[in-house]
Amino acid sequence: MKSSSTSDLLSRFAALVGPGHALVEEADKARYLVEWRDLYRGETPLVLRPANTAEVAAILRLAHETRTAIVPQGGNTGLVGGQVPIPGQHEIVVSLERLDKVRSIDPLGNSMIVEAGMPLASVHAAAEAADRMFPLTLASLGSCQIGGNIATNAGGTAVLAYGNARNLVLGLEVVLADGRIWNGLRQLGKDNAGYDLKQLFIGSEGTLGIITAAALRLRHRPRGVAAAFVSVGSPAAALGLFARAQAAAGFGLTGFELMSGLAMEFALRHIPGARLPTAPAPWYVLIEVSSSLSGSEADATVLDILTGATAAGEALEAAVAQSFTQIDDFWRLRHGMSEVQKHEGGSIKHDVSVPIGDLPAFLEEAMAAVEAAFPGCRPVPFGHMGDGNIHFNVSQPVGGDRQAFLARWNEMNAVVHGVVRKYDGSVAAEHGIGRLKVDLLAEVKPPLDLELMGRLKAAFDPLGILNPGRVIRRP
Amino acid sequence: MKILVPVKRVVDYNVNIRVKADGSGVDLANVKMSMNPFDEISVEEALRLREAGIASEVVAVSIGPKEAQETVRTALAMGADRGIVLEAEGTVEPLAVAKLLKAIVAEEAPGLVILGKQAIDDDCNQTGQMLSALLGWPQGTFASKLVLGDNGIEVTREVDGGLQTVRLSLPAVVTADLRLNEPRYASLPNIMKAKKKPIDLRPAAQYGVDLTPRLMVLKTAEPPVRPAGRRLASVAELVDCLKTEAGVL
Ligand SMILES: Cc1cc2nc3c(=O)[nH]c(=O)nc-3n(C[C@H](O)[C@H](O)[C@H](O)COP(=O)(O)OP(=O)(O)OC[C@H]3O[C@@H](n4cnc5c(N)ncnc54)[C@H](O)[C@@H]3O)c2cc1C
Repeated sequence: MKSSSTSDLLSRFAALVGPGHALVEEADKARYLVEWRDLYRGETPLVLRPANTAEVAAILRLAHETRTAIVPQGGNTGLVGGQVPIPGQHEIVVSLERLDKVRSIDPLGNSMIVEAGMPLASVHAAAEAADRMFPLTLASLGSCQIGGNIATNAGGTAVLAYGNARNLVLGLEVVLADGRIWNGLRQLGKDNAGYDLKQLFIGSEGTLGIITAAALRLRHRPRGVAAAFVSVGSPAAALGLFARAQAAAGFGLTGFELMSGLAMEFALRHIPGARLPTAPAPWYVLIEVSSSLSGSEADATVLDILTGATAAGEALEAAVAQSFTQIDDFWRLRHGMSEVQKHEGGSIKHDVSVPIGDLPAFLEEAMAAVEAAFPGCRPVPFGHMGDGNIHFNVSQPVGGDRQAFLARWNEMNAVVHGVVRKYDGSVAAEHGIGRLKVDLLAEVKPPLDLELMGRLKAAFDPLGILNPGRVIRRP
Repeated sequence: MKILVPVKRVVDYNVNIRVKADGSGVDLANVKMSMNPFDEISVEEALRLREAGIASEVVAVSIGPKEAQETVRTALAMGADRGIVLEAEGTVEPLAVAKLLKAIVAEEAPGLVILGKQAIDDDCNQTGQMLSALLGWPQGTFASKLVLGDNGIEVTREVDGGLQTVRLSLPAVVTADLRLNEPRYASLPNIMKAKKKPIDLRPAAQYGVDLTPRLMVLKTAEPPVRPAGRRLASVAELVDCLKTEAGVL
């Protein structure tokens, strides 16, 4: 797409979508080119907003014919840069935002077919209107789209009880790199008829196909929810509390989040109206229990957990929510954790997981290692303890230079990921690889893994036009 | 001094309520019920006065179904000393509530009654005022600050466009506004203690107050759906929309 016929080509693409939905003006394109963490600034000749699957297919047919690179974009909340077009690469952005309809909903079958561009919050609302729920929950709820969630196999706070996006997808409709439409929109609880192709697209971050619709698994809404905010002395104590909570609540344990004392200090400093439900402590845990029977059963379970944990010395103090408003207050502290770090200067992120039993040792070693290597830096780990998944973020020293700190991103990563690998953990637990971790993946994955991934990519996208350079290196 | 704090069991503030198909009211089946948020503020204020040594006892009282005991239990878990529930099924309107509270005041002889300024279910904003009139006690409504002194109580009120401070002699009736305080969370030990605190459950009927509603609900309707926002291409288009669609220009 580097020849003099560039503008012809762009008009051919523009003609495939309705008027007003091929954006070329900088002001119109701007919001598709910046991302949440401001690590990447994009550049693109064209943003296309197709209205339906047929238009997406037409775009990919033309892209295939002309070897034009395409970047699918959902809600643009991805944290690893995958959805941002690379400057100088003439990548065309295909935004799914107009594919935002519910196609069908089957409350008795507990399933629902929605288009890929539906914001996650709207998926929640549609399920709720049918007296069901779609459990996947992330702090980016209002902006991220279900297609993006599936493309990244998103996790979030409900993974513990309901699994990540993969566990909530029954079927997919995908436009392949050559523009053909693969209809895998089945709503079956069991289907072992050959390879389970949909699984390949889940978590493929737009490198194997563009998801245009999904059949989702719904759940019954719990009748009762209870939550406690607990202060604990250490991650080891939190781990004891976790085992206890799982034993008491079983599948009803719908949230177990760990937050460091400093991460909480940031939250209290920067979230308007935030207050600490207990006395200050080194670590905090948010426990949520749901009951399919009643609120009082959920309450009783939480009290049972806390009484035992207090007696065993696992919990220092606990506040128990007396209303949904208070449950929201607790969650607001947790959900605000990444946002508030923006107000504390530069922050170097690690989205890692280790086997749950190793979390205390991992945290202790990783915190000591970064503090030794980067004097004055402020580790603020928090995250989905129940999944062994910690956002091991490190804020710059107070009063230090932001750019100088961020310049050491890779160095810091090396220190933290070294500890992760010692425990056979993952350096990309839930946010994926995108552009941010392509080199890292090449470094940590065994050659055979990389070879198989390369063969899959070549099979699905032989010309390398879908999200090139994301997840795996260009050939 | 004893403080009486009436607390009402209402639909939780964060529940998306649905109107019943026949429009007779909202659907309460399997819906989370909690303490009226303004009443949490009243409880908190009473507890602070007790902690400051000004009050000696905080008594929470609720009028409603048997389950109102849970609401009183929440007040006890925050720190109130004991509870009373006057059991009554169905809607009990503010005037009947005020009359029942008057009877409780006669029994308990509190120096101060702190109510929420309104309940978030019916939004009546009447009970405190009616109680004050029935008792012949002074009232300080929409309180954002209370100061107890030798000459009674100073109540800072949130009025349109500013604040007004009034001094009341005791005993008095105060209704709490949003900014009076931030209610505490219930701690585990306090929740456990609350399980042992006494709640006195009595039939409201024993007070001889006529509880029959005097108002009839004719219709309950969902608020109109707000149309989604829309991006316009130019100022000219905006002006055009304001003229033709919105009709404001
Ligand atoms: C405040 C905040 C909190 C977050 N919390 C969590 C969390 O708890 N857990 C978690 O897992 N993630 C979290 N995330 C990141 C998460 O990856 C995204 O929120 C979400 O899953 C991505 O959806 P999106 O629609 O924004 O996708 P985008 O950002 O637009 O895209 C993400 C990737 O998917 C591809 N893509 C998007 N749509 C499609 C499609 N229809 N077909 C094919 N490829 C597509 C893009 O090319 C890109 O590679 C968080 C992000 C923010 C900003």
